[in-house]
Amino acid sequence: MREANILTVRKKLKPAPFILLALTVFLTAIFLAPVFFAVISAFKSNGEILKNPMSLPTSFYLKNFQDLFAQSDFVTAIKHSVILTVVSELLIVCIVPLAAYAMERRQTRATKVIYTYFLAGMMIPFHLYMFPLFKEMKLFGIFGTLAGPITCYISGSVAFGSLLYCSFLKGVPLEIEEAAEIDGCNPFQTFWQVTFPLLGACTASMVVLNGLGIWNDFLMPYLALPSDRAKTITVEVYSFVGQYSARWDIVFAGTVCSIVPALIIFILLQKYFVKGITAGAAKG
Amino acid sequence: MKMKNNKKSGIDLVTVSFIAPAFLFFTLFIIVPTIASVYYSFTSWDGLNSAVPFVGISNYKEIFTSARFGNALKNTMILTAFISVLENAMALMLALIVDHVRWGKNFFRSAFYVPVLISGIVSGFIWKIMYNYNFGAVNTIFKEIGLGHLTKDWLGSPSLALAMVGVVLVWKGAGYYMIIYLASLQSVPTDVVEAASIDGASPLQRFRAITLPLISGAFTINFTLSLINGLKVFDQISVMTDGGPGFTTETIVYLLYKVGFNEGRQGFGTAVGIVLLFLILILNGIQQSILKKREVQL
Repeated sequence: MREANILTVRKKLKPAPFILLALTVFLTAIFLAPVFFAVISAFKSNGEILKNPMSLPTSFYLKNFQDLFAQSDFVTAIKHSVILTVVSELLIVCIVPLAAYAMERRQTRATKVIYTYFLAGMMIPFHLYMFPLFKEMKLFGIFGTLAGPITCYISGSVAFGSLLYCSFLKGVPLEIEEAAEIDGCNPFQTFWQVTFPLLGACTASMVVLNGLGIWNDFLMPYLALPSDRAKTITVEVYSFVGQYSARWDIVFAGTVCSIVPALIIFILLQKYFVKGITAGAAKG
Repeated sequence: MKMKNNKKSGIDLVTVSFIAPAFLFFTLFIIVPTIASVYYSFTSWDGLNSAVPFVGISNYKEIFTSARFGNALKNTMILTAFISVLENAMALMLALIVDHVRWGKNFFRSAFYVPVLISGIVSGFIWKIMYNYNFGAVNTIFKEIGLGHLTKDWLGSPSLALAMVGVVLVWKGAGYYMIIYLASLQSVPTDVVEAASIDGASPLQRFRAITLPLISGAFTINFTLSLINGLKVFDQISVMTDGGPGFTTETIVYLLYKVGFNEGRQGFGTAVGIVLLFLILILNGIQQSILKKREVQL
């Protein structure tokens, strides 16, 4: 319908689509240039990067990656980034949808107050409470361990996750759940076996958006993980900038290790990024 | 749409057990430390010692009289205004062209989103190298296209550095807001647009009279998000300028971090954080009251 309408309006001005396409291509080039620059630089020697920043690599040059893994504990950094992201997301999926389900389906005045309480928390900047938070983490014995950031990522996902699940739940028909209850499911079974599988798109949206935030997070692992070994990819890249200020090639190899996984997930699951952003915005 | 007998105001055991884990995490690791911050903001806690000397309102007094905070506040406001306006203008333009381009809609939409995927630290590093005076891509390109006189030490110049950080943030953030504008644009009914075009309205008139009012909800949410994100910028500043040259890119969050961790004044740092929260609430309140008034529902 919509496509057809646009086409009929457009027929009068013939060159317009081509001018628009040219403009779009130009803007795309500008938006992608820095990413392209980072990727080609990762496969060039330092001399080549300095000589001509925008030239393509002349051969399949992997020395930067060899140096990266030989001169730093980058394997640990990758391992930490993966563990933090995966474990946090698994636990978030166990905790947040359940709460949102109760707030949406078993709504009472008390659950409404809790929902508002969660959303109000979105306004509080992390920087405000980080000093006491680290003290509290020490008290619980999770400061300096991976459990520390994981705990905080779970806490930090409650607000946005609830918002997302509550908005998706409105579109899930109630009859199925009622049928399940009549068939003798208890509330937990009804949720996990009947409703949760219907929320796959919502879960995927939350996991990709939230997971990207954890993968890219800097301040939390930088401050809350022990400094005697590598922390996460992002933190390593940051410390390289100071440490190898003359070896841009190594730092670029590190940035590629940070960008490529995110890019692959995005290419595979992009519709969930879009769904999550628009559903979150419509409710927020 | 509600289940069984839950018109009551109380809460039953099943509901409690569903909500409790999320509630506990949220309360213990966000709300409790926030409340603790209020207390610490009245102390001269150094972050290491167990001694937490109570100093009354002297941290707040210092905040409102110190030139360093005044400078950080000014930088924060300039940076936030810069990115709120430019990010939204850029995002709306991207959304409009993706909505209208005839070929490769999905490809272009994804391409504009790619910078959003990159971490603050990594994007800051890439641009820091691109801005480099001697070997950076920006100056190299200017020289190659014959605009050599425009080359500058982008991050080393006190008058330019903050804007250059802003450019990186706009580049990195625009794709996110574009997605929201795009969804909103796609919900504008085409029959209304078409009727106006039959009545002889020019594309610009149609945009101003129909599209713009109908996407005002997206404006509200996007300005809110970019305001809050702008006030919290940290990663790019830490990798690109470290608050410098001088204090020209030191924002409130960066000041908070520096006094807290480099100068061992976490009591003062938390007081700065409390002021930041009030700033977020006040600016957000003002913005909401302006934008909400302009919203139109179909």
